[in-house]
Amino acid sequence: MIALDCDEHFDTWRDQARVLLGHGIDPTEVVWAHGPVHDLLAVPAVLPQGPGPFRTRVPAALLDQLELAARYRGEQRWNLLYEVLWRVAHGDRTAMLAGDRLGSELQRRIKQVSREAHHLHAFVRFVPLPAALAEQLQLDLVAFHEPAHDILQSASGHFADRLGRQRWLIATPRDGIRFDGSTLDYRRHCPEQWRQWACHADDPGAELWRTYYRHTFNPARVNPDAMRQHMPGRFWRHLPEGPLIARLVGQARQGKQRDGQAQEVGQQGGKRIGRGDSPTR
Amino acid sequence: MQLIAKLGILADAAKYDASCASSGAPKRSSRGRDGLGATDGMGICHSYTPDGRCVSLLKVLLTNFCLYDCQYCVNRRSSNVPRARFTPEEVVRLTLDFYRRNCISGLFLSSGIIRSADYTMEQLIRVAQLLREQHNFRGYIHLKTIPDADPLLIEQAGRLADRLSVNIELPTEASLQRLAPEKQVRTIRQAMGTIHHGQQAVAGEVNAPRFTPAGQSTQMIVGADATDDHTILGNAESLYQGYGLRRVYYSAFSPIPDSPTSVPLAAPPLLREHRLYQADFLMRGYGYKAGELLGGAGNLALDIDPKLAWALANREVFPLDVNRAEPALLARIPGIGLRSVQRLVALRRERRIRYDDLIQLRCVLDKARPFIVTSDYRPPQSETRSGLLRERLREPQAPVQMGLWG
Repeated sequence: MIALDCDEHFDTWRDQARVLLGHGIDPTEVVWAHGPVHDLLAVPAVLPQGPGPFRTRVPAALLDQLELAARYRGEQRWNLLYEVLWRVAHGDRTAMLAGDRLGSELQRRIKQVSREAHHLHAFVRFVPLPAALAEQLQLDLVAFHEPAHDILQSASGHFADRLGRQRWLIATPRDGIRFDGSTLDYRRHCPEQWRQWACHADDPGAELWRTYYRHTFNPARVNPDAMRQHMPGRFWRHLPEGPLIARLVGQARQGKQRDGQAQEVGQQGGKRIGRGDSPTR
Repeated sequence: MQLIAKLGILADAAKYDASCASSGAPKRSSRGRDGLGATDGMGICHSYTPDGRCVSLLKVLLTNFCLYDCQYCVNRRSSNVPRARFTPEEVVRLTLDFYRRNCISGLFLSSGIIRSADYTMEQLIRVAQLLREQHNFRGYIHLKTIPDADPLLIEQAGRLADRLSVNIELPTEASLQRLAPEKQVRTIRQAMGTIHHGQQAVAGEVNAPRFTPAGQSTQMIVGADATDDHTILGNAESLYQGYGLRRVYYSAFSPIPDSPTSVPLAAPPLLREHRLYQADFLMRGYGYKAGELLGGAGNLALDIDPKLAWALANREVFPLDVNRAEPALLARIPGIGLRSVQRLVALRRERRIRYDDLIQLRCVLDKARPFIVTSDYRPPQSETRSGLLRERLREPQAPVQMGLWG
């Protein structure tokens, strides 16, 4: 049994996998793990030297897919990739396809990874820093986000497209990324200071957004299951609107679903318009 | 009035418009440039409200003062709602602030009709102009088009916005006359024609200025009048064909406060709306004709989806051999979607497809089973009558509480 640690780096894994494949080492003979291996039966063997005699070509699309799937955090993260690579290298292309048992898991992981990148684009919430602090830190916007997979580095360029010359950072419990208006600075281990800035930013302006959220909701159509399906609960605590959800559902359930209007609007005085009225500010 | 108070009123007034899509815009980026905003064709849903609907754009009215008296609308002039009006600068400020926070991908701006159709349209254009020209905003902009506005104004709006929409509101002329006396089918269709014409003028011209690159859409209110789904789908089909519409939205009529007696006070028919969206998707994505989905007058079945309904009504087409059938026919098997069709076609180039493969592809086999043949499976139910199959496949319906006043 060969025990390997690729330090969660795709490039390291790829180099290791290439050597293993060259020496014809079966997927059942290798295990990837982070830190010391706790398998009693594992008699540690070392990675063989040199590229090995077995030569093969795999489609370029396979490497792209393996790289995507490598961002998935989960059981057998690296072993699964080697098993797919092994089968395709030995002529069984179905290992990449969703119809196959292994291929189906590969495709599922790719889908989860791209879904998580989409979650990043959707649910990151930046807090604008006040002018004096922005000048001091050379930073306009900060955000804290908890992705389930390793997508921060590959998916954050999106915000440089959106935010122009604004300077921003996104901190997570693991990694972090910062943009100074022209270049991205990715850190595998998020500096503690970044995390402090992101988690403790004061945000009085969020009330405008919360007001919009409350009023664009239509209580006559209340359907919290549909909401939960698209916006998993794990994201709510970092959304400014998250704390409102329970109360809005509660109000709608207690009779507010008679019509679509928010309670606050119904309580204000109304105005009927005669034909001659002209609108005022 | 404070900005936050206006926002409350004018967001509340705008929520009855179903559209919130931010997809279909061309690739734009602000990287390394002044200004803000990017689009790449993919829409982003930045949040979901507890009604299960996505929040992608800041959807507000410029004002809910309105001279019209459309019975189904909370902002009609005879409605007793609080009124407010944003200045164009205020809408710009809100859009940019929410965009920077990554709460939205753009703006969907509509308005009550004030003074005149032209004046109202000019106000909407003013906001888009400020965003695009003064603030270099490259995010998504959707403007509501006022049907009676000057075609030149509509063209100007089309050059600034990613999407324009004119709401058809009600599916028949008679209903429109009854419930929205100031609106006319003729001018609504004229405005759609102006937009369509603007799109055709730049189609295929690479260097021409963009004109509503994300297309035009419309909305039909479902359940405010007695129109059936047959008429609604037929109408939608003619709009797709006649004006190259990107989307028709169906909005289940939500009862409004202080409701006039001309419109129902019942809960919105959400399941009916859902079936209409399914049927609409089958027309746009799968090549079904409206007439295939609903042969005669009446509504779509609520207990089964329209694709299953078509399959049950056309048993002579089935069972289909998954290893041989044309992709377009595979897509007509209930429980097998367009993505699965692609994957099946890729897989059958490598080897014969077995029943197990469909499980791996996560096809909905409960629905697909009676309609397919694989290399190791033939449906024992292929002789079962459609009525019996339907009993087995129908979705359980929640019991409906009887109305107190019948």
